[in-house]
Amino acid sequence: MKSDKGIYISVEIDGKQIQVPEGSTVLDAATSAGIYIPTLCYLKGLKSYGGCRLCIVEIKNMIGYPTACTTPVTNEMEISTKSPELQSIRREILELILSEHPYSCLICNDKKECQDFMYTTRKVTVTTGCNFCTSNGGCELQDLVEYLDLKDIRFPITYRNVQAIKNNPFYDLDYNLCILCGRCVRICNEERYSGVLAFVQRGNSTLVGTAFGESQIEAGCEYCGACVDVCPTGSLSEKMGSWVGVPTDSTTSTCILCSVGCRMNINTKGNRIVNIGPRPGKRTEPDQLCIRGKFIPADITHHPERIIKPLINKNGAWLEITWDQAIDIITKHFKEFSGNDFGIIGSAHDTIENSYALQKFCRVVMGSNNIDLSPTYNDRSLFKKVHGFQPVGIDEIIGFDAIFIIGSNASVSHPIIENRVRKAYHHDAKIITAHSHLNRTYQFSNERIIYHPGSENIFLLQILKDLKTAQNIKFPKDISDALKLIDKKHASTATGIKQAQIRKIIESLAPAKKILIIAGDTLFKSSSSNDNFNLLSNIHFALNKFADCGMMFLVDDGNRFGATYTGMHPEYLPGFLEVRNGEKKWSEAWGIDISPVSGLSTDEMISNLPGNNFKSLFLKGDLPDHEKLNELEFFVQQNMFITETSKYADILLPAYCFTESNGHIINIERNLKQINPAVHAPEFIKPTWQILSNISRKLKNKSFQYRKTNEIYEEITAKLDLSIDKTSRKTSKFVLSMPDIKIPLKKRKIEMIPEPDYFLYQGNSMSKLIPDMKQLIDKKGGKHG
Amino acid sequence: MRIERIAVKQEIEDLGPVDLDLLNPLIEKYKSKKGNLIPLLQGAQDIYGYIPRLAFEKLASETGNELSDMYGVVTFYAQFRLNPVGKHIIKVCHGTACHVQNARALTTSLKEALKVDDGGTTEDGLFTLESVACLGCCSLAPVMMIGNETYGKLDGSQAVKIMKKIRISENN
Repeated sequence: MKSDKGIYISVEIDGKQIQVPEGSTVLDAATSAGIYIPTLCYLKGLKSYGGCRLCIVEIKNMIGYPTACTTPVTNEMEISTKSPELQSIRREILELILSEHPYSCLICNDKKECQDFMYTTRKVTVTTGCNFCTSNGGCELQDLVEYLDLKDIRFPITYRNVQAIKNNPFYDLDYNLCILCGRCVRICNEERYSGVLAFVQRGNSTLVGTAFGESQIEAGCEYCGACVDVCPTGSLSEKMGSWVGVPTDSTTSTCILCSVGCRMNINTKGNRIVNIGPRPGKRTEPDQLCIRGKFIPADITHHPERIIKPLINKNGAWLEITWDQAIDIITKHFKEFSGNDFGIIGSAHDTIENSYALQKFCRVVMGSNNIDLSPTYNDRSLFKKVHGFQPVGIDEIIGFDAIFIIGSNASVSHPIIENRVRKAYHHDAKIITAHSHLNRTYQFSNERIIYHPGSENIFLLQILKDLKTAQNIKFPKDISDALKLIDKKHASTATGIKQAQIRKIIESLAPAKKILIIAGDTLFKSSSSNDNFNLLSNIHFALNKFADCGMMFLVDDGNRFGATYTGMHPEYLPGFLEVRNGEKKWSEAWGIDISPVSGLSTDEMISNLPGNNFKSLFLKGDLPDHEKLNELEFFVQQNMFITETSKYADILLPAYCFTESNGHIINIERNLKQINPAVHAPEFIKPTWQILSNISRKLKNKSFQYRKTNEIYEEITAKLDLSIDKTSRKTSKFVLSMPDIKIPLKKRKIEMIPEPDYFLYQGNSMSKLIPDMKQLIDKKGGKHG
Repeated sequence: MRIERIAVKQEIEDLGPVDLDLLNPLIEKYKSKKGNLIPLLQGAQDIYGYIPRLAFEKLASETGNELSDMYGVVTFYAQFRLNPVGKHIIKVCHGTACHVQNARALTTSLKEALKVDDGGTTEDGLFTLESVACLGCCSLAPVMMIGNETYGKLDGSQAVKIMKKIRISENN
């Protein structure tokens, strides 16, 4: 791991000569030569621990049995990994470990039959299987027993007899099964920096636990699930998986719940998700997920309240209808509307294929540019402008010397990105955190700024002005003139940030060679969104004068960028081509004339009802409950659940979950990522593009016909460059606008931007739908707030 | 064979307010030093005689040590206490030599006389009863220590008598 790539040395393992980089451990060397050494506590990517003693080896001229994971290789080292004596010692070590771990399942003669047949619905007494543990296929003790051919255990049983913890959200903890390998403790502290788990007590009474024996929630657990992923036993296990059995299949897909787009591995049995881990077939690689990827997809996919058939609203009651009936009714009504009468509101949690299909259907079949996402950002051109910045890779974050993170509750909204910030902090990067209220990131910050809510733009002005003076930066004249007008005292009063604090920020930034600005979504949700963006761009411009400065925009929702890029916008066609400019590219591709008039945004469609002649809406996902929706003549909603808004809908169509879909998304790094179906959707659910194709067919429109998701993808890639991160773009100049900072604090209108519910999927609040999530949100307290 | 082994859960009493400002010089001294965890905890214990929960929280937030780490260390080392101790600490040796000389009888009699469990403190706050491993004077087995005094070759009633003498002198 610490290898210096230059120097290679040669070692002999079990008679095999191999070349390994100097500084690698014996275990690394053996792994690279394809030689298996049993391990329990070792975890790739974490510091070696040497706790389980199973990886002992024999090394010529070395006394005793050193552990392979902690011994560095030296030149001409002769290592033996499988002598009968070693195996016998390993067997004894395993016996000792197992004398604390219920092991009857490990050495039982009938274990093969038991594993295959023990899963039954337990409402009656079960005679097959002893069911000591969750047995979810992740038990590494089983593999070791197999490998060391252990038949019997000679030591007395010393079970712990502690109560299993079952009232924890999302995962159960049964420390009777714990073998104290310390993987969970180490990953919690060294990798996630959550600091929840530790070894408590000593000797015989040692257990993994939290400070003062508090519950995981009280101890500040972030439910990232890393401990569950790395547990080699059934001690920590996902609640959702415990009734399903050992997974038989696994599918690699992408998490769509936030814009990071983590690769995930969905392990399934039959048509059920058993658990979700970061890597195929394995749950123990250090690549990480967060609460969203780890626990929520299984809950939401198999949610009992999901609607699985098309429904029609008969005076407030929902009646099931067939798809044919539903399509007939929709077609009948859609015939009556065209152009500005009709609109589509989509979801940012949808694949680019569905987004592209929705906007094309709206423009080509219905002849309307009224196409938008919900919820939207105030600044309508935000994504086009964001597109002007070179994206920063998530794994690059750790390489920055200084990180300025503003307006973001990233530990909740983008935990994986915030985790890299924590890592950078522990690698001695200077972290400057600024937000309107305390959050967990402050714990990993060198400079901690809390400005008055809604004063982000003035705070950024303060920084810009000081940056200009301190670094003697030459701005274009209009910006320099504007900055001269700012009164530092007034600005300080408005933001609550003293001049000395601003100076300290500049001092932290000045020596850095690589600076990263992470702009949170609250900056773009206020009415000064445009100003904030322009100010940030100017700060970016100024920092680039003396350092290499990157910019990262923490937009929420998995595919918001991708959806906007593929045309879910009233003003832009796919690829950010403006509708107003009468671009020919898409008219020619689709063989129709696209109206050169910009469509209505989500707000304009709904809040101006009924005056704006808007009559019919197709909604994918959800909208905030708005009584004006009642004015719509025909309203179709497609969602996985019945929502508050559904009461206004005439037809409610069931929807796919992303675990059942096929397609692509574009994440925050602007990388194209694939989504693969892990389970089949319930029988009567159809994907959005297929519904639209059916309607189009009924409307006798030949320009919109798809039979496979892939056809849409091919159509998109033929016309649109999706390798966007590599295309070169020119950054335009951003004008500085001047907020009026002289208004006294008491008279200043404070704009409260409520912390959004970051746990939304297609408009559905997971904090309300999933009981475990609700428990977490309700009880969230403890040291980290 | 089956060995019963029930984990001991440490109950922490709520003892009302503690003056946390006393910790400030300590935090100032060790704040930015590496490996400051144990000196901080020892310092806190010197101030309060035990480590109150509020002190943990203050140390955690001001020195950047994780609460779970600190708790892990405190429960690991016998020198740290999570609850206040009595004025006199009775340490009964349970090392090998004392064990075979029936050290258990000392503990049992003291438990009865003091009406506390092992590790507990009497209601009047005078005594804390503790079982320890070897005290290092096996020739005197069974041994107990009260404060810095060592008493050897005891039986249960002698141990109680010594304790009672101290109690009488304290009450006068």
